[in-house]
Amino acid sequence: MNTATQTDTVTLTIDGKTVTVPKGTMVVDAAKTVDIEIPVFCYHEKLGPFGCCRMCLIEVEKMPKMITACTLAAGEGMVVKTTTEKVEKAQKGVLEFTLLNHPLDCPVCDKGGECPLQDNTFKFGPPDTRMEYNRFNREKATPLSPVITIDRERCIACQRCTRYSDIIEKDQALVMRNRGFQNRVSTFKDQPYDTRFSGNVIDICPVGALTNTDFRFTARTWDLTNTNTLCGHCACNCNMTLGTRLNEMKRVTTRPNDLVDDGWICDKARWGYDFTKSKNRITQPRKQGQSVGIQEACTEVAASLQKIVEAHGPSSVGFIGSGYGLNEDLYSYQKLFRTNLGTNNIDHKTYTDTPGLPVAHFDLLDVETSDLVVLIASDPTEELPILDLRLKKAMTRKGVQMIVLNDQQTLMDKYASLSLRYNVGSDGVLLAGLNTALQGQSAESDLESTTGVSSNQLQAVAEKIKSAGKVCVIYNPVALTGSSIHTLKQCLATAGGLAETTVGAMPAAPVTNSVGAMDMGVLPDVYPGGLALTDGDAIKAKWGDTAPLEKGLSALEMIEKAKSGELKALIVYRSNPVVDFPSGHEVGEALKKLDLLVVHDMMETETAKLAQIVLPSNGPGFDEGTTTNIGGRVQLRTKGLTTDNPADWKIVSMIAKELGQETAPKDVHAVTAEIAEKVTGYQEIKRSAIRKQGKNREAVASANGASASDGTHTGSGLILRVADVLFSHDKILDAESNLAHQFQPSTVHLHTSDAEQFGVKEGDEVRVTGNGHEVKAEVRISNRCNPGGLVLPKVSDEQGVMSLAEAGKAVSWVTIRK
Amino acid sequence: MFAFNDTSETRIKKIMAKYPEDRKVSALLPLLTLAQAQEGYVTPEAMVEIGQRLDVSPAYVESVCTFYTMYYTKPVGKYVVKFCINISCHLNGCDNLMEYAEKKLGIKEGETTPDKKFTLLKEECLAACTEAPVMQVNNKYHVNMTPEKIDQVLGSYK
Ligand code: SF4
Ligand code: SF4
Ligand code: FES
Ligand code: FES
Repeated sequence: MNTATQTDTVTLTIDGKTVTVPKGTMVVDAAKTVDIEIPVFCYHEKLGPFGCCRMCLIEVEKMPKMITACTLAAGEGMVVKTTTEKVEKAQKGVLEFTLLNHPLDCPVCDKGGECPLQDNTFKFGPPDTRMEYNRFNREKATPLSPVITIDRERCIACQRCTRYSDIIEKDQALVMRNRGFQNRVSTFKDQPYDTRFSGNVIDICPVGALTNTDFRFTARTWDLTNTNTLCGHCACNCNMTLGTRLNEMKRVTTRPNDLVDDGWICDKARWGYDFTKSKNRITQPRKQGQSVGIQEACTEVAASLQKIVEAHGPSSVGFIGSGYGLNEDLYSYQKLFRTNLGTNNIDHKTYTDTPGLPVAHFDLLDVETSDLVVLIASDPTEELPILDLRLKKAMTRKGVQMIVLNDQQTLMDKYASLSLRYNVGSDGVLLAGLNTALQGQSAESDLESTTGVSSNQLQAVAEKIKSAGKVCVIYNPVALTGSSIHTLKQCLATAGGLAETTVGAMPAAPVTNSVGAMDMGVLPDVYPGGLALTDGDAIKAKWGDTAPLEKGLSALEMIEKAKSGELKALIVYRSNPVVDFPSGHEVGEALKKLDLLVVHDMMETETAKLAQIVLPSNGPGFDEGTTTNIGGRVQLRTKGLTTDNPADWKIVSMIAKELGQETAPKDVHAVTAEIAEKVTGYQEIKRSAIRKQGKNREAVASANGASASDGTHTGSGLILRVADVLFSHDKILDAESNLAHQFQPSTVHLHTSDAEQFGVKEGDEVRVTGNGHEVKAEVRISNRCNPGGLVLPKVSDEQGVMSLAEAGKAVSWVTIRK
Repeated sequence: MFAFNDTSETRIKKIMAKYPEDRKVSALLPLLTLAQAQEGYVTPEAMVEIGQRLDVSPAYVESVCTFYTMYYTKPVGKYVVKFCINISCHLNGCDNLMEYAEKKLGIKEGETTPDKKFTLLKEECLAACTEAPVMQVNNKYHVNMTPEKIDQVLGSYK
């Protein structure tokens, strides 16, 4: 249904110019293609035709009356006129009406300089007004939410914001109350409008009625330096504009890229950049707590590493990175450890995953053009917000169907035609069952007792996949347990072999550059570009004769070996194992045993406190390079702020130099170019090619592990499921964050039957205990997961949920104490 | 808490049966009418309840409810007196009539008498312009109004 190519076009003339556009294009958009501006207020291309403001009146030959260009689809042979006397008079009239009660706020209005009402009045409006009566006065600046200010006097009732809330967010949270000149943008009972995407209304409001409270009166828009960059929070990598003044972050606004964000950003982008000026930043290199120069710090790191390698061998040093680094930074680090230090002790995660896919890597736009989306273990709303909007669009406006397979309830269930909840920890068995069903065989008999999902239900999923023309599988590897990622990839391979179906997938790990980290080979067993260790010749050809070929330690193994004393030195880059690793509460002790702990990070962390040497990482806003998003699209992140501290890749190159590396990249582009040369899949990634909308890297070799069964899980109590939360109170969103009002209390979600068994009721304060650790939380009897499981949203660093999870175990058992 | 009573529920069943499942929001106006009939005005709780039944947000229900002046979102008196203030009635002196009524009832436009008998409201065109100025009391129109007629009509409402 979605595969039909739209070749139908129509040709019309607008002000004498001939225009050919796809059928269904509105005249207002057709005019844009030949640089004819028809003024609008209410029309927004992402919201579709509405026609309430009358600003876009035009004349069309053979039509008796003027008509709104935003609601009129271009027709074959249409003759459109936008500059007749009649049109100009109408434009003046509409503007005179629009301005009747509008306050004279331009001199103090934040929208000034980028305001469609100013611009349209300047270009099309009457020079004065005939209004002799008092203007209708309304409430001036009042909070619509803690971060949005509404000035109802400025509102021109275009309804963009309310339609956005309805059509894009699908919440209908913001509505128009009353009618006529008394209408009023509001929420139910005037509750705060604080959704995850609320800030976009500021950008689409054509006047200064909705403004960014944090930005209000801090700078005139024309005094801002605007940098086109990327969001550095989640792995959607939305495009955004960073407005700065005097080297300080002032505001973040949308920068539409239909291939990535579809024109929107989430509130974490808009208000989650306070970290660029937080007092918790690491601004100075330090050694044993004392500030030192960066060169001294790098020399020290190199010398210590060298000494340790000489004394204990290359396997005594290791690197734990994270998907928060840019491709250039991560690439440089793995190169340092592999070629300068000779070890594969390199990793960036604590879950199992392998690079590449046995099927095509689908991009975000494929979500809309598929017939079926299969969403596995993913909660886009909390993990990848812009994917949430894209999915809602696909389901409600593009006729795409969705199957959700998850162990916890999510907001996506509402949009799914089939939503199956498997038991927490049973994903491996479930996926094996799905694979069997896809192969047309019947499932193991214990499927339902283990997973809570029947073989008939899985059969139905398989049937839907088989009968769809194009299927997009989106999965979150972080939320899969044990080694079930391998089973998932086998499912993909099986589905990919179906004759009638095109199958692609999107690995949807939430961290910014998770896909890039995999591609860059920040892994103990795979070189960049999915190059497996078994491919010794290829590795030697690319990385030299001394490149290590034996498997290195995973991140969790490195912690283990640090504890046992076998690992002597560790560089931890943009990662906070003490809080974020399973058994985090024991990580600190392990790290203290190291001879050398170097932490290279942006914010002060619990781990940085333990380090002998701390190096500053500049992070989003300041750094420059590429990231690869969940759709495999590589884009350019540019800097809007400057600092004296060197970039991360530069620090790595300084350490490498001390270790005898003769060549050094002269700037970040040189690193990007080296990636294009060395990393399979990235050969086309050049600055010029990605500058505008980014570019998909080509497929990275698929290194799929064998499907090891994790066995049946035995233990007592409930199986823990940690859930991601978008506005988590961590180092990035600290206590001073503009988004602090979004922080949630610590809660634990139970099934009714388990609540009864543990004798707890809604609202009880309890302690969730396991793995020698406890977390305080308030009980919610929400049936968010099946009986036998328990969901703990990770609402803050302080809460310490990851310590409940046992390192190296597929599942963790916890129990509840009052 | 708001709950529809049994009579309303019977009506609701009939009303909902008229619309296909994916268009059930069409039942919004009738449901608001029932809620108002039950409580005298539409309470926020009723909006929540209606929203849940029709799969729309309470904010959406509120937006529709406040669009129509015949739905009340605050308690009103036994008799709701509305003066049309639109163009024909305006030209025919509705302002004076409103002022007269305000004095007579001792309340301002938008208010309710302490005995909860009368609520005074203004209204846009009541579509009886040929007989302007127009006054409406509950569901009944009174046309070609004068101060004397106000006395007479309001006097007849006990
Ligand atoms: S607040 Fe802005 S976007 Fe919303 S209706 Fe008013 S003018 Fe339009
Ligand atoms: S969805 Fe992700 S990438 Fe996009 S703006 Fe939000 S946090 Fe940033
Ligand atoms: S832009 Fe066409 S009516 Fe508003
Ligand atoms: S103007 Fe009063 S009824 Fe029409």
